[in-house]
Amino acid sequence: MTLFEKIKAIYPSLEDKDFMTVITLQNDSDGKGDYIAKWEHPTLARPTAEQLA
Amino acid sequence: MSSIVISGDTSGAITLASPSVAGTNTATLPAATGTVMVSGNMPAFSAYSSTSQSIANATNTKVVYDVKDYDTASCFSSNRFTPTVSGYYNIYAYFQFTATLNINQIQIYKNGSQYKTFTTSNSAAGCSSQISQQMYLNGTTDYVEIYIYQNSGSSANINGGQNSSAFQGILVRAA
Repeated sequence: MTLFEKIKAIYPSLEDKDFMTVITLQNDSDGKGDYIAKWEHPTLARPTAEQLA
Repeated sequence: MSSIVISGDTSGAITLASPSVAGTNTATLPAATGTVMVSGNMPAFSAYSSTSQSIANATNTKVVYDVKDYDTASCFSSNRFTPTVSGYYNIYAYFQFTATLNINQIQIYKNGSQYKTFTTSNSAAGCSSQISQQMYLNGTTDYVEIYIYQNSGSSANINGGQNSSAFQGILVRAA
């Protein structure tokens, strides 16, 4: 399951536009995988590492 | 003009060479102060991806450029352009997705953060997206990278090859 899929499973109400505005997922192609580079959602809290594990 | 003043205390010599053909030529200096740019101090590079790369859904992904066409000042390394001369640079990049997409973006990152983004909607497979931007780089720590975004709902590939991808930069004007 990708990071995007994990976040959508936690917050099904998130829309595509949220990932182009208030949330940025990023992969630096350095072998470390996807991560949350920005989380500025006005109502939903940034998922914890435990939630994303 | 009454004189030419050569200042500085470094060793070595300055040579003003005349052309190898007969004739009278005039080089006019502007009424301004600045650094004279010659080919030896104007960084320029061009690189491309030799293989396809998978871009995860809804994730800004750094593009891997593994082949250099040229790199005049050895400023491009590890998918990153870090020029050694301060000034204003033109940065250009393009890519092709292999799939039809609702949204795709090509993004210039400066020092690890989004600097400029170009968005394409409803792109067909094989269509290319490109971005061109002039920007100031300080010649020491500033660096530029290219990221791509797509939200097709699953991962999508960008094409590899010299005719399918590019990342280029050139000094336009010294600071």
